[in-house]
Amino acid sequence: MSVEAFVLSKNELGGFLEKLKEDYEVLGPVAKDTEFVFAQVGSVEELRLDYDTTILPPKKYFHRPVETLFKFSGPTEITESGEPVRKQVIFGIHPCDLNALLSLDQVFLGTYPDPYYKARRENSVIIGLNCTKPCEKGFCSSFNTGPAMDTGFDLALTDLGDKFLVEVGTLKGKELATGLAAASTEDVVTKNRLLRASQEKMKRRLETEGLAELLYQNTEHPVWEKLKEECLACGTCTTVCPTCFCFGVKDYVDLTLKNGERPRTWDSCMFYEFSRVALDHIFRPDRAARVKQRIYHKLVYFNQQFGTTGCVGCGRCVSTCIKSIDPVEIVAAIRENPSPPKEVKLFTPVIKKVTPEKSPWEPQKAVIKAIKPQTKDTTTYTFSFVDPKVQEAYTFEPGVFNMISIFGIGEAPISISSSPDVKDSFDHTIRAVGNVTNALAKLKVGDIVGIRGPFGTGWPVEEMKGKNVLLVAGGIGLAPLRPVIKWIQARRDQYGFFEILYGARTPNDMLFTDEFEEWRKIPNTRLLLTVDMVPPGVEWSHNIGVVTTLFDKMHSRPENTIMITCGPEIMMKFVVRDLLARGFAPEQIFVSLERRMSCGIKKCGNCQIGPVFVCQDGPVFRYADLMNLPEEIF
Amino acid sequence: MAKPRIAFFKFSSCAGCQLSVLNLEEHLLDIFGAVDIAYFVMAKRENHEGPYDVGFVEGAVTTPREVQELKKIREECKFLVAMGTCACTGGIPSMKNFAGTQRQMEEKVYTELWDIQSIPAHGIDYYVKVDAYLRGCAVDLGELVELLKSLLLGVSPHFRPHAVCNECKLKENVCLLVHKGKPCMGSVTAAGCGALCPSLNRPCEGCRGPANDANTVSLAQKFLELGLTREDVRRKFLKYAGNTPEFRRGAEAV
Repeated sequence: MSVEAFVLSKNELGGFLEKLKEDYEVLGPVAKDTEFVFAQVGSVEELRLDYDTTILPPKKYFHRPVETLFKFSGPTEITESGEPVRKQVIFGIHPCDLNALLSLDQVFLGTYPDPYYKARRENSVIIGLNCTKPCEKGFCSSFNTGPAMDTGFDLALTDLGDKFLVEVGTLKGKELATGLAAASTEDVVTKNRLLRASQEKMKRRLETEGLAELLYQNTEHPVWEKLKEECLACGTCTTVCPTCFCFGVKDYVDLTLKNGERPRTWDSCMFYEFSRVALDHIFRPDRAARVKQRIYHKLVYFNQQFGTTGCVGCGRCVSTCIKSIDPVEIVAAIRENPSPPKEVKLFTPVIKKVTPEKSPWEPQKAVIKAIKPQTKDTTTYTFSFVDPKVQEAYTFEPGVFNMISIFGIGEAPISISSSPDVKDSFDHTIRAVGNVTNALAKLKVGDIVGIRGPFGTGWPVEEMKGKNVLLVAGGIGLAPLRPVIKWIQARRDQYGFFEILYGARTPNDMLFTDEFEEWRKIPNTRLLLTVDMVPPGVEWSHNIGVVTTLFDKMHSRPENTIMITCGPEIMMKFVVRDLLARGFAPEQIFVSLERRMSCGIKKCGNCQIGPVFVCQDGPVFRYADLMNLPEEIF
Repeated sequence: MAKPRIAFFKFSSCAGCQLSVLNLEEHLLDIFGAVDIAYFVMAKRENHEGPYDVGFVEGAVTTPREVQELKKIREECKFLVAMGTCACTGGIPSMKNFAGTQRQMEEKVYTELWDIQSIPAHGIDYYVKVDAYLRGCAVDLGELVELLKSLLLGVSPHFRPHAVCNECKLKENVCLLVHKGKPCMGSVTAAGCGALCPSLNRPCEGCRGPANDANTVSLAQKFLELGLTREDVRRKFLKYAGNTPEFRRGAEAV
């Protein structure tokens, strides 16, 4: 027999619980009104192992609805990290919720392991409970995430009537089972029979065969418009989902205005403001798009992102939805009347694993070395980490970003605008438009901020080697491209013809104007400038018109060229469109995208576009990878 | 920064929001430390003339005289806050806007009509620019403190414009609508109250007005399925925020 198994008679359950309570907080299903919730279990009578499902999944004990990342005093001083973590037993977790936890492990313990989740996971014992009776709305067998569990537990219980079969999953579990009587072969056979019967009784099924391709082909299916009419955008489906992980981060201060904490709080892609960035720009305002995002993320993207299922078929989103919106029915409706099949290329971002020694949540102190105004609202700040060792170890690629923190105000993602070759400092060119950037604008040389980073994937400077480079920038979009200019300047012989096209609203809105002369002197390089308009009294001898009007004047041709662009979305949209028309291939085009980011480390979920996380898979993307996503990028 | 001068004003309302401010006992001393309350008739004997840094206005505007006063207040306050549902959307007084003509309303309430001059009830932003909104009947004190702190820090306050359902689910309340068939407005109403009513087993009445992207038409249809009459549904949506396009759509949907 491969799995060690014991039996626990039902009248022994109380004693078993009491023994667990000596070392652990025991959390299990208890009744709440007509429903069930996971809560601290007082007596064995409270423990309701006959529960069908709970309002919130036990995920709440690992990824807390609100979790304090740290407490602070003043703009950069961390006074306390995290919250105390207790040893806990999750008693009676169903296979669906356990499998959801295993999916969440990929999110929180993969790249940039999350210290808070990790601590809770490591201090937990999982005692699972197989489902001998399917729940009303569940469809777990569609994903092999129930009704039986096969991994991830310390102990797994199965109700055999007057007793539980107790299967051992780990050494820890074996320890806890000490003293129990060994199970007979008959007990194991009974368990298998019961669980097979349970699976056969499960009426609901979501057909997963070719699901990714099906959904990618049906982004315009009428079902989405219908759901837009139905959906209340209340976010309940995501709040009760055992695999949803998105959260927002916000600082709270007490009335001293100096002391406070930075918690993360569950967020929902169903909320209109989920994707909001400074100046109140919303990237996913359409409710149909948000419904689609949730369904696609659960059924397709999660798998592309983390190699594991994003839906475990627990049925909570269905049973709690006021309008009974049901993924099983959505998929069935699409299968019944699918759009004509077309070839789909599923772009799956590379799964990277970064494991920094320090907590990825806690910023390092950096001092402002210099401040240089660029335009009336945009300024370049030169920073250097206070700890020389941190500064020495700090390297980055052109095009990536840092998270800049002022405790009490918040944190914002800002691209690095200096050359990676400068080792003793780095620049950020910042437009004062939001809470953090406005607060930065009030700082002076010598002031200290918190910085985490660098994060993300930058410009393809390796792939560009030996090729011509066309750089198209709009407004403040020049900031993340400036490192490329410096990079090529320092390695001029490694790159071919280099052409810089830069447009801004007016001459006064142009950044780095004092460097233009130097850029023009880079051998085999052209700099073309344009502005949308010239205010009265301002001198201007270059082009007038949007940046695409420079295309007729440029010398760049598609052959052996890489085009890189950053600017307002609407600009990039037309730049890409016009260059495609001029014979550039989508593979030659690289764009840098902006989205809301609360973490930078592929956790908060705010920056997702289809299966990509802009914070890690981007902000720089090859256009070919994005052009066929189910969600439009611009 | 010098202590900001704060003022509290009242228009047509029950004064409950102002009273709530006085319930901020545990924070009150700290707040007095951080700000200078220059004008607060309900709470203080000594009140000072403007200008003020921040003005909190309670109540709906329901008479021409109130319009004039409000405009003066706007001139006197650098930052103007609509405090409570009446000031935000017209609140309870705005029910009259949907119940007949002004004259009919006046006749229902008053016997002597010669000196009565009432106009449809509106939130204060119907007449003047408003810088921040504290929703709720009454206001949520946590949000009031959050707003004060944000003002002092010079950042935009963090309110929760999504549906009450989120806060309700986080409390693991049994859903009053799905499981008990009660016509709860939580799914279209802005959060920030901590799902106060549903947590006490009472359906949300929508006092905080519409959540972001509130789909009131869909909820109105659900209410009909629950057995509410068309008139019930209409009344639900017109109780606190019938002046908002979202709740008006809900009222007119069925």
